[in-house]
Amino acid sequence: MSGLLRARRGAVVVFGLAALTPLVVRDAYFLDSLVLILLWGALSAAWNVAGGYAGQVSIGHASFFGIGAYSAALMVTRFGRGPWLGLLVGVVLSIGAGLIIGVLSNRLKGPYFALSTIAFSQVLLIGVSRWRGFTAGAEGIPVPFRSGFATLGLGHTGWVYMALSVALVCYAVEVYLERSRVGYQLAGVREDEDAAEALGIHTRKLKVGAVALSAALTSICGSLWAQYVGFVDPTYVFSVDLSVRFALNAIIGGMGTALGPFLGSILITSLETYLRATFSNWDARFAGIYLVIYGTALILVVRFVPEGLAGIAARIRMRKAHA
Amino acid sequence: MPRFVVTLVVAALTVVLGGELATVGGQATSGEYRIGVLEPITGPLAFEGKRHMEGLEIVRDLINERGGVMGKKLVFSVADATDPTVAASEANRLITREGVKIITGTFSSRLCGAASEVAARHDVIYWESSCVDPRFNKRGLKHVYRTEIDATGFGWYNIEFIAKHLAPRLNLKPNQIKIAFLSEDSSYGQGVTESARQRAKAEFGMQEVMLEYYNWQTLNDMTPTILKMKQLNPDVVHHISFSNDGVLFWRQSKEQNFLFKALVHAGATGYGGSDFGKALGNDANGVFALLEPGPGFRLEALRPEGQQIEKAFRDAVQKKTGTYPFGAHQLAGSGLWLLKLVLDRAQSDDPEKFRAAVMSLDLPVGSMINGWGVKFSELGQNANDRVQHYMLQWQNGQLVTVWPEEFTTLRAKWIPLGAWDQRK
Amino acid sequence: MDPARRLGPAQIDVLAQLAVATVLLGGIYALISVGLTLIFGIMRVVNFAHGEFLMLGMYLAFWAFVVFTADPYFVVFVAIPLFFVVGLVVYGLVMRGVIHASHNVQIFTTVGLSTVLQNVALVAWSGDFRFVRPWHLSTVLRAGSTIFNLTQVVASLIAVALTLALVAFMKWTHAGRVMRATAQDREAATLMGIDTDRVYRLTFAIGIAAVGAAGVLVAPLYSVYPTAGLQFVLLSYVVVVLGGLGDMLGAMIGSLIVAAVEVAGSYFFGVAWKEIFYFILFILVLVFRPAGLFGQRGAETLGV
Repeated sequence: MSGLLRARRGAVVVFGLAALTPLVVRDAYFLDSLVLILLWGALSAAWNVAGGYAGQVSIGHASFFGIGAYSAALMVTRFGRGPWLGLLVGVVLSIGAGLIIGVLSNRLKGPYFALSTIAFSQVLLIGVSRWRGFTAGAEGIPVPFRSGFATLGLGHTGWVYMALSVALVCYAVEVYLERSRVGYQLAGVREDEDAAEALGIHTRKLKVGAVALSAALTSICGSLWAQYVGFVDPTYVFSVDLSVRFALNAIIGGMGTALGPFLGSILITSLETYLRATFSNWDARFAGIYLVIYGTALILVVRFVPEGLAGIAARIRMRKAHA
Repeated sequence: MPRFVVTLVVAALTVVLGGELATVGGQATSGEYRIGVLEPITGPLAFEGKRHMEGLEIVRDLINERGGVMGKKLVFSVADATDPTVAASEANRLITREGVKIITGTFSSRLCGAASEVAARHDVIYWESSCVDPRFNKRGLKHVYRTEIDATGFGWYNIEFIAKHLAPRLNLKPNQIKIAFLSEDSSYGQGVTESARQRAKAEFGMQEVMLEYYNWQTLNDMTPTILKMKQLNPDVVHHISFSNDGVLFWRQSKEQNFLFKALVHAGATGYGGSDFGKALGNDANGVFALLEPGPGFRLEALRPEGQQIEKAFRDAVQKKTGTYPFGAHQLAGSGLWLLKLVLDRAQSDDPEKFRAAVMSLDLPVGSMINGWGVKFSELGQNANDRVQHYMLQWQNGQLVTVWPEEFTTLRAKWIPLGAWDQRK
Repeated sequence: MDPARRLGPAQIDVLAQLAVATVLLGGIYALISVGLTLIFGIMRVVNFAHGEFLMLGMYLAFWAFVVFTADPYFVVFVAIPLFFVVGLVVYGLVMRGVIHASHNVQIFTTVGLSTVLQNVALVAWSGDFRFVRPWHLSTVLRAGSTIFNLTQVVASLIAVALTLALVAFMKWTHAGRVMRATAQDREAATLMGIDTDRVYRLTFAIGIAAVGAAGVLVAPLYSVYPTAGLQFVLLSYVVVVLGGLGDMLGAMIGSLIVAAVEVAGSYFFGVAWKEIFYFILFILVLVFRPAGLFGQRGAETLGV
């Protein structure tokens, strides 16, 4: 156990600090930022399962996020049941959708796969916007806040621990993929599919499974997000922007590493929050500058640190080991 | 690894916390009263957010010239809200970092829904001037108010105009009118269209011949829709448009020589924005848009205090932007002015005293900017019949006030619209 | 009964007009996609900022019209060299470092580029909707009972001309042959002494010049605003993939198919559903005919 902890010191620091923070800090904005960091981190970790470990880079993961968000919101508002049941329904539906995407991934590669996932999320966006009778269409669903754990009506501190739990679940799945036999097989599929096939690995099943697992985790986060923010509308939950965000944190943090997505989320979410607050308060006309900086940073990171923040850390460690 | 991770975490914490240290005591500065302003100032809604900000800044200056609020100078903390997550997060920031007790905004229904929820949990007053989702103040949130009518109000006014003004001038009974509903599919478009449909059918028995929604951002050609409408032959087209879609529909209707008797829109976007006139010039003639008042509006129809502030507001907008106020200026501006009236009365931002002041306000139509009056319901909604709305019409490059007739010197023309080249 | 579904003699006019609408809309899509056929179709460089270059072209048309009252048809001659240079600069600053990287790296680099360009436009020119109104926008041509908008007709003709010019360029010039060789086998090309970096730079610049010109030409038809290009990106990829990667004439037909699906979908089912039809078509084509509806060339380099 202590060996595992030592091997995962980075994670212990990140999640440990997150767990301790609510004990010291009461500031709602800070805790809110922390919830978002953990939630976006968990979503990127979920994306990483398909994108990083199985090499299926999707820009349509908002599909699963949206399915989760709508399942939870509709379960509460249309059926009068708790969001937890909605979360479960969302997971089932997302696994279904993930199987479809997974089957696509067996036929498509690289940009083709990425494009087909975008198209998939757009189809869902239009469908949900049009099915007004059931989904309330483009007007979206305000999710009522009812205090209590069963209804997911928590305070900021409660939400930090909720987001932390889901982050830990996603992290655990990632660690499993790094350590287990399935993980090694996946890495084989990612690096050289033909060779993996020749070794008797069921590459197709593995890829479909990874995408479906990734979809299920994304959907869970989507359901929680719906309860946290309290307003679900199709143009946001199925947006390409959101899909890009999930992938982005993982890429910046380090694709295919367990802690990478969380490091990426820490950097991007706090940078974004900070820049937005600074520029919009300074002069509304120049608010766009924060997105210019954000975009430039993205280009630079992808260009100069393609292995991500986790990669830098590994590089430093290597140098130390050699010294 | 751990040292690197620790560095990163500490850096992130410093950045986020740093903001707090820098602004501590923002509200405490004596002689200033700070409120939070939440508007979409980047992203696809930026053009409207910008005009809201203009309207808010102009009225803030008017308020400060008249002694501010509660004896203090009114100042803003501005936050950019582009999507529900950001709106909620920024509302949190305004409340905890900037120390505001009142937040106003937000243009879009997807933003006000998430942000007001946050405000309610902090016992902060949410003063909405523009989002129209009817459910906004029916969620049992305390301290949530809306100065503007909701989507059902827009639908109500549009059908009122069609049934009471257009129908007689077209020599038709309301139940003989064939009406086609066309709308962009945002929450605004859907909200207004659905409420108009309901009233048209239930109260007047109008004949609905078509209902179509579309996504304005991906609309590249209206010809197929226009060809379909041509065969359905509606008398009135009820079209809620957002931007280019209005221009596209009108231009291509002319190309296809699609003739109908009137087109009615609601709101400050699409046909209701200055861009429509700029894009089409005199070809725009005849379109109706339900809005806040435009040129032709009779100041004399207002009460003395209303005349005074309406004129000051109009002049200030003219001075700053060179034009008559746009709908977005008027919505945001009048909302802020009404906030001042409430604060003057309450002399406090304590939610209970504030609420008492809101409920006690009872001003008849014609008392403030836009000729509005004030009477809030228990839900925090300003009453439809106090928030007077006006039908404007594009006449030779200008959007002018034509209805209700007691408020205006100008009259609605081109009823029915007639041939495309005869509308001069 | 819904008259849209009733077929009779009166419908013939409508069908003719729908066909015209398809051709004209297809022309616009072809025009917008030409540059992407080159960059993605032939060179396999993923560019998600395609729409932002279109948007910049639209702004060029707008400012030239406002400041110099210059007609877009004149501005387009300025736009081509101007955007060629823009393409060279962007290539040098942004694309060069990732040109040999994986598609994923390219995707996210260009996503970043797209965010930057959108917001530069927002800060510089605000989020207002702008309009370009040259005289020919309200001019219509008639043939029998069908109606043609002049601006759309010209845009379509230029799309055809550009496509043919590029086909000729690829076929008969040395540079074009080098491009095709590089696209087919990068390593072999390097061994043959081809400076692949130069080839990529040239291809990217020509592609950007084409989309910049397209922006100028479509500016009168749509409104000009910072996110105006966004919706055309996915659409352009649909067109290029339908036509078969790198098949210029195929892309032309791909545009017509997308336009036909859109027009027919809008007319018979309602405009709300139009995109669903072409996205589903797109997914089906990707799955069942990944090399495009007609093509088979070049699909192997994407590992399909």
